[in-house]
Amino acid sequence: MGNWSIFNIRLLKLAIVTVALWAILSPLSALDFSDGTASGTVLTIITAAATQDLAFGNILQAVPKSIGYNNDASSAIFTITGEASAGINLQLILPEYVSLSDGSDRMTIIFSSTDAAVDTTTVTPSTISASDGWINQNPYYLPASAVIGSAGTTKIYLGGKIVPSVDQTPGTYSGDIVLSVSYNGS
Amino acid sequence: MMGIAYAVLVLSSLSGYAVSAQTVTSTNDLAFGNIFPGVPKAIVKSSVGDAAEFTVTGTTGAEVTLDFTLPAYMYTTGANMPLFFSSSDCAVDSTNPQDQSNPSANNLNPNGTITYRIGSNGMSVWLGGRVVPGLVQKSGSYTATIRLTVAYTGF
Repeated sequence: MGNWSIFNIRLLKLAIVTVALWAILSPLSALDFSDGTASGTVLTIITAAATQDLAFGNILQAVPKSIGYNNDASSAIFTITGEASAGINLQLILPEYVSLSDGSDRMTIIFSSTDAAVDTTTVTPSTISASDGWINQNPYYLPASAVIGSAGTTKIYLGGKIVPSVDQTPGTYSGDIVLSVSYNGS
Repeated sequence: MMGIAYAVLVLSSLSGYAVSAQTVTSTNDLAFGNIFPGVPKAIVKSSVGDAAEFTVTGTTGAEVTLDFTLPAYMYTTGANMPLFFSSSDCAVDSTNPQDQSNPSANNLNPNGTITYRIGSNGMSVWLGGRVVPGLVQKSGSYTATIRLTVAYTGF
């Protein structure tokens, strides 16, 4: 038997051992796995900013003064940005009084059931119409179907009425108007 | 001569394996779609096209274990978002045909090992989940890997 034959036999043995190992190990590899993916797209964060204060200016004692939501210079304006056309929840928290900074006197402020407008087209307070969103809205119950405008912005315009007393203390009065806004998932 | 005898023994041993190897394939991803910041979103396991789906093949009647490796978060660059799987978010069906809306085993816990038998048409595994974005969750596409490992139990 020459060297070539010895080599062939060794090769055959190696092949046999390989097959034997495969046969032994294959039951242990009776396991499989697969990877799937969880995915989702988070949309634009919603933001709200008070871009103009409700400003009554000078007020005379015992002379009530009103500012309409359609007053470009003096109505309160809140600007909301977010995902275009997304449904939103809106809630205004309105004060019952405005006060002097030292708290020594306060003055009644009233919001009527038509003192707010919701603008999804970002026109102006004085030019908003029903086709631009919602006009003459109750600020305590803003529309449940409100949405972010197609440009990604919605504005809220708010008016109100201040009622000074006959002996109202002169000075600068202020109060907080808080807008809470969130996506409703629609 | 001994080498030849050994080969015969090995081949004889190989002929004794009647169990075919099982396979598992991810056939649908768990897709949450658009998610609003601050608004949790759930995908139910019966939601065709949205729930994760895995297809298992193997020997009919063989028992297998199903083990998920579930992510706690989905990720995007620089942010993550919690992902939850409840104790009833998984369903399995090995009947023929398989029915995602009426599976043979429903409300299974994907957080533990699930044991089931492969049917004549294999087996489908469905998984739902719930994502909880923060109020100021960074916008963008989030992903995570869900792994399903399948193994014969020998029964």
